[in-house]
Amino acid sequence: MEFSKFLNSSSKLNIILMISFSISVNSFILFPNLNNAFYILFHLTFIYLIFYHYHYYLYFVALIYGILFDILLFNNIGAHLITFLSLLLLFLFLKKYLIRLSSYQIIFMYFITLIILLLIEQILANLIHNYKFNMNSLFNFFLISLIIFVPTVFLFTKLDK
Amino acid sequence: MALKFRIKVFQISTYIKNFTIVSVVTLSFLLVFFSKSDLFIINGIKNISSSVIVPITRVISAPLNVFSNFVEEYNQFRSLKFENKILQEEIIRLKKWQTLAIQNSRENRVLKKLLNATDNNLTLVKTASLVNRNDTIYSKLINLNAGYEDKIKKNMSAINERGLIGKVIDTSAKNSRVILLTDPNLSISVKSISDEIFSLLTGNGDGKYLVSSFVKENKMPRLGDIVVTSGTAQIFPVDLLVGKVARVEKNRFFVLPFVDFENIDYVQIVISK
Repeated sequence: MEFSKFLNSSSKLNIILMISFSISVNSFILFPNLNNAFYILFHLTFIYLIFYHYHYYLYFVALIYGILFDILLFNNIGAHLITFLSLLLLFLFLKKYLIRLSSYQIIFMYFITLIILLLIEQILANLIHNYKFNMNSLFNFFLISLIIFVPTVFLFTKLDK
Repeated sequence: MALKFRIKVFQISTYIKNFTIVSVVTLSFLLVFFSKSDLFIINGIKNISSSVIVPITRVISAPLNVFSNFVEEYNQFRSLKFENKILQEEIIRLKKWQTLAIQNSRENRVLKKLLNATDNNLTLVKTASLVNRNDTIYSKLINLNAGYEDKIKKNMSAINERGLIGKVIDTSAKNSRVILLTDPNLSISVKSISDEIFSLLTGNGDGKYLVSSFVKENKMPRLGDIVVTSGTAQIFPVDLLVGKVARVEKNRFFVLPFVDFENIDYVQIVISK
């Protein structure tokens, strides 16, 4: 616990990002939903970093994780890199409008962004990498997102104090 | 003076930030554009991801791996009694088959001598074990602990004792990546054993079945037919076991692979002789 004092919330979130990435790219046959849950946690953490800790280093984070996700999940670069960078660029333009929103509206936007991100990844996976648009998988992602969203936000706000 | 200096520093930092964004976006665009090519940088990224990143991610996810293994062992332990009973019955059955097989083997040897036939058409390149798998989200890929140092090359076939597993799509010095048959991006040319109906199979996306994407002369195989590689595309050796026809529809058919993709421990990389 003493160790955590030396880390600021942004570093802690980056550690969560790394752990969730590592777990989501290592399949566990007995618990496939665990992979999905950590995959969604990665997205949640990344969006949270963009919304609350926006910094230019996030472009490099998006570049690295985007490439790694694409290589490890598709063996080609594409869907994740495009979505992560597009989200960052979109945030850059919409930042001034997002600041005006209330905290509840921001939380709602946070969830909507997550679902749209997952949806766009599915569409790009279909267009670029020729993977079938899987409605079941998307529904599964949506359900897991619903389950883990509130605890994750609670955890992140605790981390952020 | 101080204000002027601050404005200048602010302008420079804004310029650097904008330049960073533009260069990252441009780099990403180029990487996406050339990702399917065989460029040195793309291969370098792929090599680093399989030889450096994969081991790191395995270390980070090790506690969950240990937990997963523990649950698996507990499940196996629970079903031990039941499995024991089945195995005892199977031993009795197999003993009868063994007698028959020995007789057939002798007969086969004599017939092969008469026909001057060779025993099999495969050369084993390397037996490798599974490092990790990425087959839950999107693609169906596995990583092996052998690479081009072990003479493994792209497009070599991966098999196990049950049949064809997939194809090598990437190799680094000590690792290689295999795309499984169940991946929608892998096509294999096959034929049915009984009627010699030639077709192309791809993964169905559900990770269980293979579906025909092309059937020669639109002839459908029969339900239960065994499907093997045809060898016509010259990627997979001929006559590797693929699966059994599980469902036949008007214009396509579904094949259940012989390989249990959830229980792959060792993989043999082979080429045709």
